[in-house]
Amino acid sequence: LCRGGLAERLCRLQNRERSAISFWRHQCISDAKIPSDKSGVLIVKILEMFEECAIQIAICQQLEESPATLSSKDVLISAGEPILKVLFARETAAHLKSRPQDVIHIYPPWQKLLLKNEDVPIIMNTYFSQKVLLSEHSETREKTYGHTKMLIRKNIVSLAQTFKLDDLDDELCQESSDKQVACAPQIRNNCDSKQHPLARSAVNDSLLEMVESQGVVGWREAQVRVVIQRVYCLPAREGYRNHSQGNKPLLSNRGTFCRLCLLVQDAYGMFSEVQLQSLSSADVIEQYCRRWEGKFCCLAGMKILQRTTRGRALGLFSLIDSLWPPVVPVKVPGQSQDSEMMTTDLPPPSFCYVLTVQSGEIHVEVDEEEQISNLYQPPAVHGLKEILQINGRNERCSFWAQVIYLRLQTKHSVPINQRESWLFVTDSTLQNVVHITPKVVAVSVTASCVLSTEFTEALSVASRLVFFKDALWGHGRIICVERTVLLLQKPLLYSAAGADLSELTGPVRLDELDSATQANSICAVRGTVVGVNESTAFSWSTCDRCGNGKLERCPQDGGLLYCNQCSEVVTSPVLKMQLEVFLSCPSRPQSAVKVKVWHEMSCGLLSIVRLDMSTHRYYEVRSVLGKEVGLLNCYVHAITSHPSCVGLEEIVLL
Amino acid sequence: MDGTLPAVAEELLKEIKKAFQETSHGRDTFSFRLKFIFGPSAVPALDLVDQRSVTRVTSPSGRTAYQVLGSSGKLYTCYSSCHFCTCPAFGFTVLQKSESLLCKHILAVYLSQAMGACQELSVSEEQLTSILLAEEEDEG
Repeated sequence: LCRGGLAERLCRLQNRERSAISFWRHQCISDAKIPSDKSGVLIVKILEMFEECAIQIAICQQLEESPATLSSKDVLISAGEPILKVLFARETAAHLKSRPQDVIHIYPPWQKLLLKNEDVPIIMNTYFSQKVLLSEHSETREKTYGHTKMLIRKNIVSLAQTFKLDDLDDELCQESSDKQVACAPQIRNNCDSKQHPLARSAVNDSLLEMVESQGVVGWREAQVRVVIQRVYCLPAREGYRNHSQGNKPLLSNRGTFCRLCLLVQDAYGMFSEVQLQSLSSADVIEQYCRRWEGKFCCLAGMKILQRTTRGRALGLFSLIDSLWPPVVPVKVPGQSQDSEMMTTDLPPPSFCYVLTVQSGEIHVEVDEEEQISNLYQPPAVHGLKEILQINGRNERCSFWAQVIYLRLQTKHSVPINQRESWLFVTDSTLQNVVHITPKVVAVSVTASCVLSTEFTEALSVASRLVFFKDALWGHGRIICVERTVLLLQKPLLYSAAGADLSELTGPVRLDELDSATQANSICAVRGTVVGVNESTAFSWSTCDRCGNGKLERCPQDGGLLYCNQCSEVVTSPVLKMQLEVFLSCPSRPQSAVKVKVWHEMSCGLLSIVRLDMSTHRYYEVRSVLGKEVGLLNCYVHAITSHPSCVGLEEIVLL
Repeated sequence: MDGTLPAVAEELLKEIKKAFQETSHGRDTFSFRLKFIFGPSAVPALDLVDQRSVTRVTSPSGRTAYQVLGSSGKLYTCYSSCHFCTCPAFGFTVLQKSESLLCKHILAVYLSQAMGACQELSVSEEQLTSILLAEEEDEG
């Protein structure tokens, strides 16, 4: 081996570790009890085991305390306990002879690895592991299993996939369908062709009649003229596949496999949801909204998907309610065509037909050239302050707000395309008011709210003004669900009703951390450093010119750092660090405030703390204590009341 | 990526690449993890890196392959599009017994990439073709 080389160094470390392992094992056997030093010990219960190459992988549940202190009947798997994937080397596995339901103590130094796109942490370097036997079972266990060899499933790993060492954005697999020009709609509009295959038959104006006359001879050619009140995308249930494998997860649901839908209303005020063709991406939705909302359209030969009622389709009916009562008088069935009725007394609809197109033929024609119908109700825009004061339970609301921060859900048990995300928004009605209402509101975007890739990409880059059309307000939260449409531009038509839609002047201000602060919010924090959590520190070098954090080392130049964005050697790199500090905040004196700091703003704080990786020790921590920090923008992870703790993470607003 | 171990191995190699940009002390932490995941291949692979044994061979069309000078003096070829190496250990330990993810040569290729220790060689299309086909001729 090369002297002073990496291999020689690893050999030395390995020899040291090997003797440590055998010494430890010997000690465990002779002591025959669990060592009293519990710090850093990981206690896990094996749920499932399999093998990949020479490594044994155990899916485990992390336990809080040793089950030796609890009776075996009490140890139930509770849904909330964290799941881990623990890797055991072949030799350790042979020593442990573990089976599912076994409890293992893993002593330090073990290592944790977090994979991108996966929330289950990997635990490795588990050389110092010991199985814990529950006393009442150990005897029976030995009798029944003692000599039976357990068979473990072996996963054969594919050799077809190579490892990618660069995690750059160009790894996002650009599916060609995403980048296509908006696919030609299967629905023709009047200006395209002079032929009207449906023009022969008479045009009806009652959806109910069309639906009820299904099956009657000639109904297929009968057309109904309706007004398009809303255009939106619904996630298609059958096509809900995860296309973001290996991609950086942007906001949930990249808009693949959704269906274009219309909410239409006829001259009698009756509503119907019409489900049109599937889209491979939701990028076209803004176009369709612009071109079609408010216009007349002819439907023919629809297939009835279902007749749904208020109790079964709350989302659909909350949208219908927002369009009720009609803004112009509607006809009353049974009376002659000419007489009309005032709408103020009409009760809101209690049922709605969901229609769909028959495959193949064209059944929907939109009169794009015609004027907007009087029956059309454009979205009513309100300021956020007004919305927060609405009294209702499930009200649809529309608003125009600045997105200043976004947060993705990271629950490991939820697949990426079904995750929620939060957009933190504000507008002038919230910013310009003192106290009472919060300055920033978290809007939850569920997976059922279909977003276009253009939208998610635009938001991940910079702060944008977003038009939230038909979001749902209820129980003190604004959520974007099915039928909510998020647009980067204001629609052509909307009613402002005195809402303050002025742009924000000046920088966005956040509320300061105080006793009313809740989890999953953002706030500004200032305080004094009273403690440092040394074990959480992590550091990396960045270019002092452009801030590039991915510097390369050039072996030719004696190990100097090179920035390929500046195309130059970095002579004085800036060391960036991430660290958890404890603050004492005057605005919330009763709580222990823990903040994970990493950004440049707090670098003045971080550069004082030095990191010596070989001894894993931090010195000069003393000079950090007492330092003033603030104002930092932070995301509130958690707030506990007994003891009163606040967990924060420093963030950068868009 | 199917399987847990490949994802773990990939993440580890990415971290090594990142850590390589910092002080040399950072390498020790990753040496332990490397040893854990790759087992007996780790030290020999690092030795190959120390000796600058890995060469990336590219042709004008953009095709690449890797050649690793083994400890016995023999030159082995590793593919870049999948995990394959012409050494006998790969055939036995990886293909036949599925006991390891990679052989020491393929691991050396990744480590050399991560640490910027790859030699570069440009060859013509014909030369690259003969490198890729060379093993067939030998065995035939």
